[in-house]
Amino acid sequence: MLDHDLAAFIQSGVSITLAACAPGRLPSMSRGYACMPLDSDAIGIVLPRSQAAEALDNIRLTGRVAVAFSQPTTNRTTQLKGTDARIAAFDPADEPLVRKHINDFVPEAIALGTPEEMVRALLSYERNDLVMVVFTPTSSFDQTPGPKAGQPLLATL
Amino acid sequence: MTLRLDSLRECLEGIIPGHIVTCDPGGMPNVAFLSQAEYVDNEHIALSYQFFNTTRRNVLAGSPVRLLLTSHLTARQYRLSLQYLRTETAGPLFERMKAKLAGIAAHSGMAGIFRLLGADIYRVLDIAPVPGGSISPPQPAVNCLNALRRSTDRLGNCANLECLLEKAVDCLEKEFGINHLMLLMHDEARGCLFTLASRGYAQSGIGSEIPVGSGLIGICARERSPIRIGFMTSEYAYGRTVRDGLAAAGQIDALETAIPLPGLPNAASQMAIPIVADDRLLGVIYVESLADLHFGYDEEDALVVFAGHLGLAMLHHQITDETPDETPVNERPPVQLQGTPLTVRHFATNDSIFLDDDYLIKGVAGAILWALLDDFTQRGRTSFTNKGLRVDSRIRLPGASDNLEARLVLLQRRLAERNAGIAIDKTGRGRFTLTVERPLTLAES
Repeated sequence: MLDHDLAAFIQSGVSITLAACAPGRLPSMSRGYACMPLDSDAIGIVLPRSQAAEALDNIRLTGRVAVAFSQPTTNRTTQLKGTDARIAAFDPADEPLVRKHINDFVPEAIALGTPEEMVRALLSYERNDLVMVVFTPTSSFDQTPGPKAGQPLLATL
Repeated sequence: MTLRLDSLRECLEGIIPGHIVTCDPGGMPNVAFLSQAEYVDNEHIALSYQFFNTTRRNVLAGSPVRLLLTSHLTARQYRLSLQYLRTETAGPLFERMKAKLAGIAAHSGMAGIFRLLGADIYRVLDIAPVPGGSISPPQPAVNCLNALRRSTDRLGNCANLECLLEKAVDCLEKEFGINHLMLLMHDEARGCLFTLASRGYAQSGIGSEIPVGSGLIGICARERSPIRIGFMTSEYAYGRTVRDGLAAAGQIDALETAIPLPGLPNAASQMAIPIVADDRLLGVIYVESLADLHFGYDEEDALVVFAGHLGLAMLHHQITDETPDETPVNERPPVQLQGTPLTVRHFATNDSIFLDDDYLIKGVAGAILWALLDDFTQRGRTSFTNKGLRVDSRIRLPGASDNLEARLVLLQRRLAERNAGIAIDKTGRGRFTLTVERPLTLAES
């Protein structure tokens, strides 16, 4: 189960990247547009279907998924992995969460000199294109750059 | 149509980190953020290796590699499929990436943590655009290709090295719109570079020296490779690294330290381009700016080609100045010198020259001036040739690659800056004249 701090972190203005692998180990990836904790320890990652098509195919085949969350201004980075990933429809009622995530991410990127117009273009979406990947994190890793990068976050899971 | 890597190089500047995904042998994916990637050619890309992490373990275990790159100018994203080839831990590519990473680390608050262990070279198997929103890129400040065309045209019309150097810095300033720049020449025998021209500084710094291998300029010279940094980093801050380099090499006494190096103390963008011709390093062009990311791949490409043209033109002038034209030279009749007498002091240990109590120059240029003034005071001689200097036992030129013409330009410029009544001027191919306007007293120490 995610501790309170980690749960808050992955829902803050972080960049989200999801990866999956084909059975032959060819990996694929997509940016995520929001993250939401769900019931029973699972979390949902909102993705644009058009960018994530290959990753979604891989998830259907393997159920394995890795998602990295990184805060641009601090470089704090955490990766969660799971083996029970499945694809769920995006509920339009959750769209405010997507808008909130983007609004939280914009000042993070602006702080590093990226113009707001560019960030908003990067995370622009069509509501009908959104899809959700749901999984239960079974391992998590601190990937903040430095000597501890890659170590499991034992306390959190 | 397959995308070419050279059409999306701005994605590699490190503004928006790339995302690298791999897969372990058990089929579990992994995502990591990539601090830096470097364009090698259209088939190869280099990624920074800083930590032995899951990505590296997966790569070494044979994982296919995918990369998501994002343009900070357009927000366009690209998915690259890569195949790992090898890791380089030294050499030009490694040094280019190390310097650039220092800037990226400083920009992202990771100074002291990001340290390049290796440059991982990958073959680019495929590049695909990722669907998504985008914006129009900003208008470039300069059309580099046109600036290059105009500049190389202008370099072709110079009669001598001095004119060539002046045109070169003028082109960098006017055609390329670069406000702070230096042109340094290589002193092969002493393993250093000396500033021969500059623009955009309160003091010209002409005559100041940097050891090969020290600081951004010195590393560019040692590796004969362009080095470019987009953000201010103390690691490559100019004065400090150079002084550290000097002290470490025990060269403080041997090098010119009385003339301060020009340079912006708070430059954000820095780029050094080697001037190489006929497989010899002739010098370095150094440009800098207070703005972040002022120089990109296009500016680097253009200045590399410009430096290539400049190098060939320099070689040409060095060769032609070895064969003086045959026009007979008439010595000017001696004139009675007026004004306050000037004491010229020569220290034989390092050939340093002081005009009254003010330091002028040392080394070969100092020895040349001392020989010229000696001939002038003894025999009233005012006309000299490069060929004559080369066989003059008082000067001890270091050999065939002595850059004599460049040393004469250096001497000429130092004298002009000092404006103490001594000047030298070119009078033809391989010839020059000495002008003395005040009574001289020569003192040997």
